Amino acid sequence: MPHDLQDASTILLQHAESRLASGERIVAKLQTNLDWNLHFHAGLILLTNFRLMHLEVGVFHEWKLQDVENLVLEEMGATAALHLQTSASLAWHWRLTAGLLKDLESFITRFRELKGSSGLQQESGEDDEDDPFASETISEPKLASKPLLRLLGFSRPWIGLMLCGLGLTVASTGAGLIGPWLTMALVDDVLIPLQSATHEINTERVYRFTVGLLGAAVLTWMLKWATTYVVSRLAERVTSQMRRATFEHLQTLSLSYFNKKRTGDLISRIGSDTDNISLFISIHFIDFACDVLTIFFTAVVMFSINPVLALAALGPLPVVAWLVQWVRVRLRGGFAAASRAWSAMNSVLTDTIPGVRVVKAFAQEQREIERFRQQDQHIFDTNDRVNRTWSFFEPTIYFLTDIGLLVVWSVGAWCVAHEHTTVGVLTGFVLYVGKFYVRLDSMSRFVASAQRAASSAHRVFEILDVKPDMPVNKGTHQVGRLRGEIEFRGIKFRHGNRQIIRGFSLNIAPGEMIGLVGPSGAGKTTLINLVCRFFDVSEGSIIVDGNDLREIDVISYRQNLGLVLQEPYLFFGTISENIAYGRPNATRAEIIAAAKAARAHDFILKLADGYDSTVGERGQQLSGGERQRISIARALLVDPAILILDEATSSVDTETEREIQTALDHLVKGRTTIAIAHRLGTLRKANRLVVIENGLISEIGTHDTLLQRGGAYARLHAAMEDVNHA
Amino acid sequence: MKLFLNGQSLTLTDASGTRHDNVRPVRLFPLTEPRRWISIVGENGRELTCIEDPSLLDPEQRQVLEAAMAKRDFVPVIQRIITIQRASDGHDWHVETDRGSTAFRIETDESIQNLGGSRLVIIDKAGTRYLIPDITRLDRDSRRKLERYY
Repeated sequence: MPHDLQDASTILLQHAESRLASGERIVAKLQTNLDWNLHFHAGLILLTNFRLMHLEVGVFHEWKLQDVENLVLEEMGATAALHLQTSASLAWHWRLTAGLLKDLESFITRFRELKGSSGLQQESGEDDEDDPFASETISEPKLASKPLLRLLGFSRPWIGLMLCGLGLTVASTGAGLIGPWLTMALVDDVLIPLQSATHEINTERVYRFTVGLLGAAVLTWMLKWATTYVVSRLAERVTSQMRRATFEHLQTLSLSYFNKKRTGDLISRIGSDTDNISLFISIHFIDFACDVLTIFFTAVVMFSINPVLALAALGPLPVVAWLVQWVRVRLRGGFAAASRAWSAMNSVLTDTIPGVRVVKAFAQEQREIERFRQQDQHIFDTNDRVNRTWSFFEPTIYFLTDIGLLVVWSVGAWCVAHEHTTVGVLTGFVLYVGKFYVRLDSMSRFVASAQRAASSAHRVFEILDVKPDMPVNKGTHQVGRLRGEIEFRGIKFRHGNRQIIRGFSLNIAPGEMIGLVGPSGAGKTTLINLVCRFFDVSEGSIIVDGNDLREIDVISYRQNLGLVLQEPYLFFGTISENIAYGRPNATRAEIIAAAKAARAHDFILKLADGYDSTVGERGQQLSGGERQRISIARALLVDPAILILDEATSSVDTETEREIQTALDHLVKGRTTIAIAHRLGTLRKANRLVVIENGLISEIGTHDTLLQRGGAYARLHAAMEDVNHA
Repeated sequence: MKLFLNGQSLTLTDASGTRHDNVRPVRLFPLTEPRRWISIVGENGRELTCIEDPSLLDPEQRQVLEAAMAKRDFVPVIQRIITIQRASDGHDWHVETDRGSTAFRIETDESIQNLGGSRLVIIDKAGTRYLIPDITRLDRDSRRKLERYY
């Protein structure tokens, strides 16, 4: 809610409180946010034990409680209206956005409670109840630089390895500096005297310096080798830890999260984004540490030898620093955009490849190619943008290196001429400056990599920071084997602005089979999702074996569930693995028994690899009916107390349906079953049929009684008969 | 229940004494547990009986069953990989098996399946299964060649 609205309502509330009579208490309050013409306008409705008040800035109305006949809610799409009826007429309307619907409903409930108890005071005033449908939210926005620091947290278990890597880095950097230093001595003590021919040639010293230079090279080589090895190991461990943590976290999130997210986006976050991070830690981060150390050491060495020359050599440094900052800012946005573009392309792939049959059937290949091309173009463009910055940056660093060298040469020449320094020192300086600027160049590469890793880390942490909207640990009551008694107590369910279940009460006895019938969109599947606890009810409660579903530990509860869906999902793996999905430790005899009961055994026999046959990602090699029978075997094997059939037979032909029906008859025996079916024949074994329309129960009864009644069920039945005889 | 050879074909007399001609043994877990779970299937493709553990049969029955299975079995065991070459669609393998040397083509990477541990099964374009019971026991040269594709 915007702050000004919040402020306005606070002011209104204070205003209202000042008007309260003695003994008057606020029972409920409702913010309104629209006026008559649907412009945003803050208002407040207050319900006290005496009256109903309406406040806006400069507006005040009140109605005595006994005059108020009723409050009526009217949903109007994105907005809603609240009508106030007095005994005389419609007294007032309020309008508010659908976002406040929940508040509105609870306000009306409070009002009815108050009227019902005929003005008796009720202790339910301030409503600070936590929103049961609070969606999964990111806890707090993180700063852009923070992700890299958070990465450190992931490397904590390998602190030893980290320190080892750091030590090796320092050592190898130090070793790299020995070379120029020896060169300096070589020139001054051996070469110059040799050239001026004033001294005898000192072969032993030449020999010693050469060996020294070789030794330094070998030492640097070995230390660098060790550093790279240790650090890459570390990087692999950190990123693998990150991938696992992310996937583990994903598994704790509820269905509604996955409904909102694109598969491709999640894949690219876990896949390529963690890879970026790995690359950063293993290569660039270590390079960066080397660079900083080298620059520091070189600077120290240079200043200690000749401060004037050192100052000249480091002259262009501020320019470089400024340049780095300039590039950093430009790259940051670029890399984030590139990651997003990459995700978008992945999404196109995960969308198109599984849906390839539909694409081909509608001859839309060209359109998909175009869709892919656009996304790819997007990647191309964002990378182009990054490269434009980049292509300017690198040569500029080289140019500055050359300038730096030029300065050293000219200042050096002047110094040598005035005998402030020796040729050897100058040579050493030139070597040092070369090293120095090479490092600057590689540091600039680090800038890019760090920005890329930061934006990748940010995307990964975005997943990790999502709080599960259905706290799995909220229910702690462990249940063993359930009897399967289910009671719906006036449940309501709202998804976003849509009220899907509008009050549903039903008792299901253990072992009873309930058939849910009704038009599409009536709320049948939602009801089943609620029983599976994929979502929590907005109001009311579901009681299973005497326990509120919200208090039962989800995992122990779901172990009592068997689910057969319209589109059976088989995982990549063998048939026996798929059947044993819910109970991986099932014996072969049990797997075969389940397959036999599900009428799957005979077709499995005919496959080349029998139960060892691999079924593809979506079980493509099997027909719809065969996949369905495997999913029935899968449900059978867990021996569920509560069985849920969601249109289990609607995607197959009648012959297969008969086979599946026989399999299902095995399955429903002795279990509480809730079945949805459009083909009413599927429900012939149901003890009771529940007809749902618009989220409400319209009829309950057996097939025969419902037919006799001639209501909604009879109409559905007649319509089906028509289709069958057409 | 009794199995006997009737000329070239296998015949089963079930518990009720009914005689079924032309039955065939089918392994239910040919890759993961080939020695157990043998189903005897009738001419109509339906299972007549299932033998969980053939080693519990009496020796004569077992021999009949094993002979019948040996006649149908064809899963060459790869002993040495001579070459694997990338082709336009998939790759060509040239191998030495327990049944002699042969060449075949596999289509996708999914045609090489891991059966757990270091056991591999390779399914060629024609659907023939080749088994590598233990990768670690292949010679070094063959392992190197395999590594590039699996």
